[in-house]
Amino acid sequence: MSFALEGISAGYGRVLVLHDVTVTVAPGEIVALVGPNGAGKSTLLRVASGMVRASRGSVRVDDRNLDRASIEQIARAGVAHVPEGRRLFPGLTVRDNLRLGGWQNRNRDLEPVLALFPRLADRLRQAAGSLSGGEQQMCAIARALMSQPRFLLIDELSLGLAPVLVDEIMARLVAIAATGTGILLVEQDAGAALELAARGYVLENGVVVLEGPAAQLAGDARVREAYLGI
Amino acid sequence: MARDHLMSQFLQATLYGLLQGGVFALVAVGFSLVWGVMNVVNLAHGAFVVAGAYLAFELHSWTGIDPFLSVPVVAVALFALGYLVQRYLVNLVINAPVFITLLLTFGLELVIVNGMIMLFTANYRSIPTGYATTSLALPGDVRLPLGRLIAALLAVGLTLALGYLMRHTRIGLAILATGMDRGAARLMGIKAAHVYALTFGLAVALAGIAGAAVGTIGTFSPADAGRFTLFSFVAAVLGGLGTMSGALYGGLLLGLAEAWGGQLLPGTLVNAVAFAVLVVVLAVRPQGLAGRSFYAARVEV
Ligand SMILES: Nc1ncnc2c1ncn2[C@@H]1O[C@H](COP(=O)(O)OP(=O)(O)OP(=O)(O)O)[C@@H](O)[C@H]1O
Ligand SMILES: [Mg+2]
Repeated sequence: MSFALEGISAGYGRVLVLHDVTVTVAPGEIVALVGPNGAGKSTLLRVASGMVRASRGSVRVDDRNLDRASIEQIARAGVAHVPEGRRLFPGLTVRDNLRLGGWQNRNRDLEPVLALFPRLADRLRQAAGSLSGGEQQMCAIARALMSQPRFLLIDELSLGLAPVLVDEIMARLVAIAATGTGILLVEQDAGAALELAARGYVLENGVVVLEGPAAQLAGDARVREAYLGI
Repeated sequence: MARDHLMSQFLQATLYGLLQGGVFALVAVGFSLVWGVMNVVNLAHGAFVVAGAYLAFELHSWTGIDPFLSVPVVAVALFALGYLVQRYLVNLVINAPVFITLLLTFGLELVIVNGMIMLFTANYRSIPTGYATTSLALPGDVRLPLGRLIAALLAVGLTLALGYLMRHTRIGLAILATGMDRGAARLMGIKAAHVYALTFGLAVALAGIAGAAVGTIGTFSPADAGRFTLFSFVAAVLGGLGTMSGALYGGLLLGLAEAWGGQLLPGTLVNAVAFAVLVVVLAVRPQGLAGRSFYAARVEV
């Protein structure tokens, strides 16, 4: 009963970016995926949500095979992807963005996500494109949560956000995971991600070079040197 | 005396222009929708308008039903046609360069137009109605033809209704979202191929209704298909792509330009006037009158 990317090799055109990558997320678990620029973190999330097709390996949710599934089928199987760049619908209001998040399951009840991100409540009638960066990130996560996903994939949570805001959003992730949603978090800020997560993976040049309990990774000499600047 | 006459002529032309413009708006709105949502310039659009006119004509001659009452039948039939065309034809090349979809829809227009010539001949016809020649007398010696009034009200009503439905219904929201960012819409579980087909079906249904309206207020033949596509293009670009209100402004402006131009110029120059207006508007306000709400902004996944 989990979300599993197993033995994934994938890329763009003829260029392979990922080589035999295996990552799993259990329900209610927060898993961090860290690594340098260009390692293939975003590509792995794209494989997970069907935006990029793997040339090898399998994508499974609860032992249901999604290798051949379309993006919309994977979304309907309970996997929500907050993509790089957030990809909100800029000309639509925050309310319409959230409604679109709940489109597939006809969920129009905004209360639970507004309770998580109260700032959005004052912005419901504002165009999503006119939100600040932090609000946009909250809106993107809230939109993904509207589908009541079993697994949530977040790409670059902290990019361009003030540290206070990152802390605020990360605290919300703990609350979300507590409801049973598994979270795969891709982060530049490895320190914060490993502090939050139970487990972690380090991806370099498309290969998982380290994995294990987050505390253990945070204590690893190579990780400390390469990602934590210690 | 001469001045009064000129004045009433001007008012009459303005009224005709607005009524005609309302119908142009309905002719154009589907074209604009398809272009805005999926970046397809549908050269067969005018052929669907004419097909709607023929369907209303045939329904009238078989059953005697008033063309405005047969609108639901025309709409359903053309919606189904449009859905199938998009789902099983245009969708296949939707990611190809614009040139390919132009070629495909151009081919489609040839097939539909020549099919109609074979079925119905190239002769001009008109759908007779009991009130075609009835008109209301307005002050200032201006006449308001009843048929044109009904056609314009229907057309403007449907154009405005479409705009409302796009913002306030589940399907409308999915169409808007898919037009803005197809990949993100798919991440929401929205089946983009289905939404595209619905969009095209909607556009073709509205084109067909516009055809039925056009058929009652004037004459039509398969040869008009190109003219309707041209009008749609001009109205859509004038108004701003993808906005329903844009098609309305564009259609009205085009109707007025045609009516005023027709007072001053020989009939064949009217199209030239339409293009002159287009050029002027685009020079002054390149985003169109109503602005561009979206324009198949992101289509990569
Ligand atoms: N759409 C694309 N087409 C072709 N190559 C791509 C595409 N997107 C990414 N790549 C390449 O794939 C490799 C991995 O990119 P990816 O975006 O997955 O890395 P990342 O780990 O997310 O990096 P970052 O931390 O900078 O976001 C890079 O070499 C990149 O140039
Ligand atoms: Mg990335």
